[in-house]
Amino acid sequence: MNKSAIMTDHAEGPTGVGVSRTLARWDRESQRIRSPVLRYGFSIVSVAVGLGLALAFQHYGVQNVESPPFSLAIVLTAWYAGIGPCVVAVVLSAACFNYFFSEPLYTFEITSEDLPNFLLFTIWAIITAGFVSARRRIESDLRQARDHLQVEVEQRKQRENEVRKLNQELAKRATELETSNNELESFAYSVSHDLRAPLRHVVGYSELLQKQASSLLDEKSRRYTRTILESAKRMGNLIDDLLAFSRIGRTETKKTLVSLDQLVKDVVAETRLDTGGRDIVWKIHPLPVCYGDRSMLRLVIGNLLSNAVKFTRMRAPAEIEIGCADGEDEVEVFVRDNGAGFDMQYIDKLFGVFQRLHLPEEFEGTGIGLATVRRIIHRHGGEVRAEGGVDQGATFYFSLPKAQDAAERTADTL
Amino acid sequence: MSELARILLVEDDPRDVELTLTALGEYNLANEVVITRDGEKALDFLYCRGEFSTRSKDNPAVMLLDLKLPKVDGLEVLQQIKSDERLKLIPVVVLTSSQEEKDMMRSYKLGVNAYVVKPVDFHEFVNAIKELGVFWAVINEPPPGSVKKAP
Repeated sequence: MNKSAIMTDHAEGPTGVGVSRTLARWDRESQRIRSPVLRYGFSIVSVAVGLGLALAFQHYGVQNVESPPFSLAIVLTAWYAGIGPCVVAVVLSAACFNYFFSEPLYTFEITSEDLPNFLLFTIWAIITAGFVSARRRIESDLRQARDHLQVEVEQRKQRENEVRKLNQELAKRATELETSNNELESFAYSVSHDLRAPLRHVVGYSELLQKQASSLLDEKSRRYTRTILESAKRMGNLIDDLLAFSRIGRTETKKTLVSLDQLVKDVVAETRLDTGGRDIVWKIHPLPVCYGDRSMLRLVIGNLLSNAVKFTRMRAPAEIEIGCADGEDEVEVFVRDNGAGFDMQYIDKLFGVFQRLHLPEEFEGTGIGLATVRRIIHRHGGEVRAEGGVDQGATFYFSLPKAQDAAERTADTL
Repeated sequence: MSELARILLVEDDPRDVELTLTALGEYNLANEVVITRDGEKALDFLYCRGEFSTRSKDNPAVMLLDLKLPKVDGLEVLQQIKSDERLKLIPVVVLTSSQEEKDMMRSYKLGVNAYVVKPVDFHEFVNAIKELGVFWAVINEPPPGSVKKAP
């Protein structure tokens, strides 16, 4: 009963409202029954009715049924009116029984024969009172349980509201994110289209100027035009690198099983074409198969190896080592060189965008290679770190989830 | 209007026009170029409308098309050409600053014949334009109905 009332309450339908109103009214009624006048009145009326019944039985000559009507009156009083009226009913019943039905008749004289009847009344009163108190206890327990459930329903409603609010918030955030992503996309698009055009004009016209007027210009002016050209080209490279970097964040990763062994072999072969004249000792240890975007991982290895080649320029022989450490659920690949290294003090800047730890005259570059590496590895759920010392070479590490783990994880989500 | 409209260049930026003509000039192709500065004019040329209503009816041997254009942009022009029976045979080369994969994919899906990203470096730019001009306007045999190369 309670449960269904709560369920309908929760549904907030008209039935629910009706049921809870009925409950409230019943509660008020029982309060009224418990008012003292009614309770004691009930007690007196019941005994009076009991007496009437007993007298009627006597009148019609029915034998030995004088006491049950009084017992009934006591039980009813105990049940409906409580302890106090019950005591009154016992006393009244005893008195009436003694007066009308016990020898000597029509006196209040108590004989030993009356005692079992008095005892019977008292026992009825005690048994019923026991039942009543048990009923009261069960009732109050039920009421408590109902209140508790109601509180829980309220709380659940509140929580549901909170969840709904959070969901709405989340949906809003997702839309905002999508908007800003689209803005970023169109920003990169305009950069790609519009920023390169003027740059191409600067380069083009400077070249034309150089060609047209080189005989008229003195050495200083020629150096100026050369500088204009170099700077414009450098800016072109910066824009290209930045666009490539932003593309990593914008494009989706297409993950497959990738053999790092094969990838390193390909990149090394490519690098060797550009370093023909140099004395480089390559130490390549076996590498595992991992799960990732092939072209992005190729970019990672390409960037790390070209860095290693670049920063070992003054070493003969240059030593570049590629290997890995097998962890529990990830592999950590390292690229170690014996080149210029870096000061560990600036480790925080190493993977930043456009951060450089060397002068452009020493080593060329835009300072976006390691930022790209970090971004790609983060998108694969891995980490990057580095160790090194000035003139003591550098070691770059990147971790990737193991192939089987990653594949299983993907299979699970399918 | 030149009878030798072998190359139709659709380019809004006058500096790019000048640099492209300079590059083509190195192979004496500059005087065979018709220039239109936006997509609408390019379509006018192809359909012999408006100021081009009196031109000879032959199609150009190649069309060099920029993507970012005022009014009607390059991709729309491309779509229009490739969906028109009379024009779809004209070889179209997209010549753009953009390396965006999105542009490239759309262009190829619309049936572009080549997609060239203008290099920032001027020498590379000149070479790219020269080779394009030579290949499409001289070496390549254009479809019937195009301007024939000079004997």
